Amino acid sequence: MKKILLVTLALLVSLFAFASDPNTLVNLTIGEPETLDGMHSYDTASGEVIENLYDNLIQYNGQSVTEFLPMLSTEVPSVDNGLVVEEDGALKYIFPIREGVKFHSGNILTPADVEYSFERYILGDPAGKAHWMIIEALTSSAFYTVEDWFADYAGMAYSDAVNADRNPISDEAKAKLVSFYEEVIDPRIEVVDNTVVFTLDGPFGAFLNIVCHFGSWGAIVDSKLAMERGDWDGKADGWWKWHDLEADEYAFHDFGGGSGPYKLVEWDRAQQKVVLERFDDYWAGPAAIKNVVIWGVDEFSTRKSMFEAGDADIAYFDPVYLDQALALEAQGKAEVTTGYPVSSITSLHFNWLIAEGSEYLGSGKLDGNGIPREFFSDIHVRRAFAFCYDGITFIDEVINGLGKLVPTDLPEGYLGFDETLPLPEFNLARAAAEFKQAWGGEVWNKGFKLQILYNTGNNSRQTVAEMLSYFVSSINPKFKVEPLGVQWPTYLSAQNNGFLPMFIIGWVADYPDPHNFISTYYASFGTYAGRQGQLFREWAIENVDDEIVAAIKATDSAERIKLYKSVQEKAIEFTLGIPLYMPVGLHVESPQVDGWYPQTARSGYYYYHLSKSE
Amino acid sequence: MAVKRKSEFRKIMKKYWKNGTAVLGTCLLVFFIIVAVFAPQIAGVNEMGNNYQIPRVSWSSKPIAPTSEHPFGVIGGRDIFYGVVWGTRTAFRLGLIITGFSALIGVAIGSISAYFGGWVDEILMRIVDIFLSIPFLVAAMVMTTILGKGLDKVIIALIIFGWMSTARLIRGNILQAREEQYVLAAKALGQKDWKIIMKHILPNTIFPVVVQMSMRIGSYVITAAGLSFLGVGAEPGYADWGTILSYSRNWMTMLNESWFAIVFPGTAMVLFVLAWNLVGDALRDIFDPRMRS
Amino acid sequence: MPLILIGVTLIIFSMIWALGPDRLLASYIKSPEALKTPDAAERLIKKYGLDEPMPVQYLKWLGNILQGDFGYSMVGKKGVLPAMLERFPYTLELTIYAIIPVILVAIWLGVVSAVHQNKFIDQFIRVFALVGWSLPDFVFGLLLLLVFYSLLGWFPPGMVNTQFDLIMRSAEWNKITSMPTIDALLNGRFDIFVDALRHLILPVMTLAYLWWAYLLRITRSSMLEVLRKDYIRTARAKGVPENIVIQKHAKKNAMIPVLTVAGGSVIGLLGGTVFVETIFSRVGMGRFLADAATLLDYWSIIGGALFFSFIMIVGNLVVDVSYALVDPRIRLE
Repeated sequence: MKKILLVTLALLVSLFAFASDPNTLVNLTIGEPETLDGMHSYDTASGEVIENLYDNLIQYNGQSVTEFLPMLSTEVPSVDNGLVVEEDGALKYIFPIREGVKFHSGNILTPADVEYSFERYILGDPAGKAHWMIIEALTSSAFYTVEDWFADYAGMAYSDAVNADRNPISDEAKAKLVSFYEEVIDPRIEVVDNTVVFTLDGPFGAFLNIVCHFGSWGAIVDSKLAMERGDWDGKADGWWKWHDLEADEYAFHDFGGGSGPYKLVEWDRAQQKVVLERFDDYWAGPAAIKNVVIWGVDEFSTRKSMFEAGDADIAYFDPVYLDQALALEAQGKAEVTTGYPVSSITSLHFNWLIAEGSEYLGSGKLDGNGIPREFFSDIHVRRAFAFCYDGITFIDEVINGLGKLVPTDLPEGYLGFDETLPLPEFNLARAAAEFKQAWGGEVWNKGFKLQILYNTGNNSRQTVAEMLSYFVSSINPKFKVEPLGVQWPTYLSAQNNGFLPMFIIGWVADYPDPHNFISTYYASFGTYAGRQGQLFREWAIENVDDEIVAAIKATDSAERIKLYKSVQEKAIEFTLGIPLYMPVGLHVESPQVDGWYPQTARSGYYYYHLSKSE
Repeated sequence: MAVKRKSEFRKIMKKYWKNGTAVLGTCLLVFFIIVAVFAPQIAGVNEMGNNYQIPRVSWSSKPIAPTSEHPFGVIGGRDIFYGVVWGTRTAFRLGLIITGFSALIGVAIGSISAYFGGWVDEILMRIVDIFLSIPFLVAAMVMTTILGKGLDKVIIALIIFGWMSTARLIRGNILQAREEQYVLAAKALGQKDWKIIMKHILPNTIFPVVVQMSMRIGSYVITAAGLSFLGVGAEPGYADWGTILSYSRNWMTMLNESWFAIVFPGTAMVLFVLAWNLVGDALRDIFDPRMRS
Repeated sequence: MPLILIGVTLIIFSMIWALGPDRLLASYIKSPEALKTPDAAERLIKKYGLDEPMPVQYLKWLGNILQGDFGYSMVGKKGVLPAMLERFPYTLELTIYAIIPVILVAIWLGVVSAVHQNKFIDQFIRVFALVGWSLPDFVFGLLLLLVFYSLLGWFPPGMVNTQFDLIMRSAEWNKITSMPTIDALLNGRFDIFVDALRHLILPVMTLAYLWWAYLLRITRSSMLEVLRKDYIRTARAKGVPENIVIQKHAKKNAMIPVLTVAGGSVIGLLGGTVFVETIFSRVGMGRFLADAATLLDYWSIIGGALFFSFIMIVGNLVVDVSYALVDPRIRLE
């Protein structure tokens, strides 16, 4: 018995780890894709797989996010090459389609596939997913969802036209639905000879960024295969049956339908692994690495151990653990790149009119035990809080220098970014002075009490909340700011209902254009407008909305820069928020991996550019 | 009767003190009680407010090795010494409240069930079955999401899903005791049922519950730590051993720089659970009728 | 039994629906970007019927279940039932491998402990086992990982080596049981079998150490009880060597309660795998449920709870029956 045990043990131990295989690349990441179909993809993990499986019309030139190269389109449309044409105020983008491109299925790509792909995305438009981008671009910001677009065309709400079983409610409704496709959607994206023509209602500065590669919402799918797999048949009659379905009801949820450099071997959802294999017939030549395994390993210590042992080639490190990555680099086990921009901002904004029913205001009155609902509509209160944020310490100590202070909620490198604007300042004396002026001096005399929420598990948000609490209380003992950790569901619901006195939240770019940040944070119609309160909205309508709308419609860069600068100056003057920091990247790879470069628009890794030495 | 009880008690105590592990357990417990009672004197108080919130000593979350100012070191910006000392109070609170309340509920439901029998018993036991069939971890996790974050919520969740085994135990014991001579005698004498339960049955069936309780006090501390690990336990920065251990989780691979964040709270936890288990083990050996020679 | 299952689902259902539509939304919105379109929140609430009253939801769900539709799992990214079925074999495999050392070692140590009652070895074994019982699973697991993987490089996390993993995903591989060790043997790949075993050792050790204390205690007290029985005394009086008394007479009889409890603890292990699965990057039901609970992925929570309850009920039934089979007293009644 004992002998058998010993022999088994010896056998197990003697099998050493296999030498790293140059044909296989293992990437350890966190989380896992939600879907592999561009239809429901709106997260980086899904985006990463899709950008390797599918091609788009155009792609970025290296690290640039403003210069494009051809991809499935043989040319990048521009006014100069005559492929962007203005007709009665509408703008036409013409994409000549590459010939002889093969899908993984063996089908040949045609311009019809391009038309099908985009129309499928627009008509599908699942709630809360990415396709508002293309709809906004096509309609010059008139609509964000296909349902609203339809309602405007048909004069009836979508829910009044189609019932819960996805059948038209009446013949009249059905006729409207059919003609909506025929008259509105279909003409927008048309095949003309060997080109595909997109028609925009007016200029939209970010259009090429939206359809460009790395955006899963512009991935071109194999239309024959999609139809074979039961997806939309491309006909006007019945498109609503494929509108707003569950992720796994679309054709490519767990099936590869693209023409990209890698094919899907298996998406093992139990093991959190996506296994890819090189597509040898790729039109631009086969990739260098044959097998790719993207593996979600959520426990950091496990991930790091596997990377250290050579069982993985790339591993995700949170900025908090930069030291551990650098220690590996010192031992020659890793190559660490830091400091490159990543198109994201984390900031804190105030709620100018907190919704009724919020439990985070204390007594709800300015009596030393709470705050009134409109507490933050006083600019002195906002300024005082902003002076209490010690950004330099935060960036140095909490995120190990992997961040930068920026003047507003616009990342560095974006059009309109202006380094002459003032950065957030940490100054307790000025904070005290502002507090003394706030609410006619009442704030200073009576004191106040409120809670800053953060979602637990998010270390940086928690530290920001604790830091503000610490410094605000240190100014005047009557000021009580309590950090309160809640779980994501509670945090989300409190935000959506406008209950939070102030909120800390990040934004990751959908596409690299300033509009995506400026409108999100500052416009009255932006994603974060609701949680800043009605009083903020009124301010924004009066002060910045016009400029934000004008900026996205402007075609001249200088004009856009001027407008964005003006919006940012107002944001600073009125202290709309505290831009906490702009994260910068951290990439850790084994010394054998070559070819990686930073690219802010990309999700995760594009393996086509990577290679591995022995 | 009284004299006899006293001498039996003395005999039991004598036996108890002769048991080495029992003595060790008791000493450990006394030590923990002292630490808990004198926590403000030992580790000081949090001047910024709630004493159960470990004060921040650094904004960085990196481990800082022990110094004279922070004898157990720092992790997550929190002083480990403060956390371990005040965590003793948390551990007692957690263990005692949960076991106390769940035992109370269990005893009540168990006795009602056994006493009334019939359909009351049937319904109560089905309810016990249902609660037993819900995976405990899931129930606790969903409960804490509903109730919100914080140790008090964890306590409530653990009470709601912790009373069933006591109920079963007490019910079984009462059913058994009902047939014993002295109960039959009391019945024959015409004593009221509830009096019989309170005076004769419960005192004779409660020991297994006490033993069970003493062992579970420790394990609840571990369960709470597990919930902290899964992100639904005490809020970060709370003076709780499990919370400090969770901080060390991501520094595990650099033990030379972070050993103190595991060793100190870990030792405290192991000794605490061990103490209750040793005491419980000894009590069982002594009270278990099968063990009495 | 159906009554219990209905009770279980009702309780979990009401717990989840007590959260209200706003918070349930969280399982569909994991990042703020999802709320970019103005009415996304209302649309999602409507789409998934989050604002419908609880009884309506429950009846709908019950109707779907009867047709075999358990809903879509956000955690599994597929239907709840297939998501659970693809994970179950892994958990089962881990449990089976874990229960063997638990039972063997616990019985062995329990007997030793009982024979030397209150001597040093007894105290030592009990404290040793109790330390395991007192250690939070995740601390012990991470320490094992550190020593045996980071320092020694012996036992890696995961299921199998990446090269083997690719083989197991290729067309020539027969997926029969979905349990790597068994499939490897069935496919005649001894090297993969050994590799899969190598990956199992640390998780098994973690699970086992934490459970020894429990079984050991039962073995010990059961053994102590038996050792006091008259027939043992008789045997000793007759001059049978102590060794044989213990191995042949006492141990055999002491095992009855131990084995039935061991059966029960298989079920306990099944539920206790969540930490091990997370730390060692393995797949399984424990992690599935924990992920579902954190994400409030309610169809998965309910489905998982139902699954576990079902297994617990069946398990308890098996234990009851086997108890009756081995214990003659019960049969007589």
